[in-house]
Amino acid sequence: MIQFCDVCKKFGEQTVLDHVSLTVFDGQVLFIVGKSGAGKSVLVKHLIGLLQPDTGQIFFDGDEITHWKEKDFYPLRLKCAMVFQHSTLFDSMSLIENVALPLRKHRHLSHQESLKQALEKLALLGMESYADQLPAMIGDGMRKRVAIARALMLEPNYVIFDEPTTGLDPLSAEQVDQLIRRLSDELKVTSLVVSHDLRSIFTVSDRIVMLYEGKIHFDGTPEQFAACEDPVIYQFVRALPDGPMV
Amino acid sequence: MINQIKQLLENFGDFCLFIGRTLKACVCGSWDRFELLRILYLVGVCSLPIILATALFAGAIVATQVGSYVTKYRAYEVVGWGFGFGTFRELGPLLIGLMFSGRVGAHHAAELGTMKVTEQIDALRALAIDPIEYLVVPRLVAMVVMMTLLNIIGDFCALVGGMVTSYVLVGVDPYVFWNSFCEYVKLGDFLNGCAKAGCFGVCIAFVSCYMGMSVQGGAPAVGRAVNNSVVFSAVGIFAMDYGVTWLWN
Repeated sequence: MIQFCDVCKKFGEQTVLDHVSLTVFDGQVLFIVGKSGAGKSVLVKHLIGLLQPDTGQIFFDGDEITHWKEKDFYPLRLKCAMVFQHSTLFDSMSLIENVALPLRKHRHLSHQESLKQALEKLALLGMESYADQLPAMIGDGMRKRVAIARALMLEPNYVIFDEPTTGLDPLSAEQVDQLIRRLSDELKVTSLVVSHDLRSIFTVSDRIVMLYEGKIHFDGTPEQFAACEDPVIYQFVRALPDGPMV
Repeated sequence: MINQIKQLLENFGDFCLFIGRTLKACVCGSWDRFELLRILYLVGVCSLPIILATALFAGAIVATQVGSYVTKYRAYEVVGWGFGFGTFRELGPLLIGLMFSGRVGAHHAAELGTMKVTEQIDALRALAIDPIEYLVVPRLVAMVVMMTLLNIIGDFCALVGGMVTSYVLVGVDPYVFWNSFCEYVKLGDFLNGCAKAGCFGVCIAFVSCYMGMSVQGGAPAVGRAVNNSVVFSAVGIFAMDYGVTWLWN
């Protein structure tokens, strides 16, 4: 279980998170939504220690991680993987080497064995024929799938997806959505998904949290979210250009 | 003005902390064999042609300069010494260091800077991999080892360049050149150059990696980091050169 208690974060004078409190239960697919710059990515980066809150507390599986040092986060990061918005594959490595890296570093497998397992994972995502290519040689959608394969190599209990379907074609987006759902249904992985993608939000999520002006504006099921008459949510769900959200 | 001084001191403090963290990771961390081999290849083997060309011309330049005085005073027996002393102790490591900084240091500052702005460094952290241990330590080791090795190779390449130039342009018999070189140039001259090369490698590695890892912003910040890496490495090389010369003497 993950808990954010009264978390605040400022960048200079700009308040990005304003007393945010949120509990994420195990096995859930939680979508964090909101307009660009609402602080969604900032919130999830706190969970694996890429950012530290100014005030407030964060708990991970009962342990308070708010003031952990960088090295303290390493065991946590093995349990909680993150797929970044821009894939962040390492340019100097081939796709298979990217996916094999976590195995080589943490499972201490031989080079050949780690490559073999990486190839199997790439095959699951339909990317095995591109294994020896460099990230620059493939498209965004493929890169994102490889980044997901890399994040799943250590079989984490929690996965953070930062805009996993942004920039993908509808088919690739659907495949990523199905993967997120399968991870939760079959492997009981807890997923935190930062997204703008309304189709994904309503087809994959168990629960939706909306951030607006640094605060949690909505917390509920997809059905409640769709039916909500609040002007901000109404505008967001219907993607209206005019409304309280600028 | 006060803000600039404050910023400068902050950056210097940050640089010192970076050196401390890197040295700690060198001693306590686990070295990544694959990354180290990759960087050794990139830093060493790929730099070899440009270093050989630099050394060859450096040798030829020194021989030409020395040669005019040798002819004037008919002091053929000191041409090897003049060449060896100047090249092994000073010109070799200095020119190779500056070339190395421009080629290797700038490359790594740009690579690490790009990794920083594209969140690849954060991705490493998210995979529970220490970026200092994985990215900086192999670069430091590779730059020190390869700078020293390239300097040794460069010294002998410069020797050939000097010997050929002395024969062709000044008319110094290669046998006389070699005898003079062997008789007057001491092992200490060669080791002095090697020590300088190793120190230049340390300087280039720390400066370029720090500039790359501390990039904040987008593409212009990467450009600034590369620029700063070359400039500060050059300043560091001259300062180290003076320091080693002073200590050695």
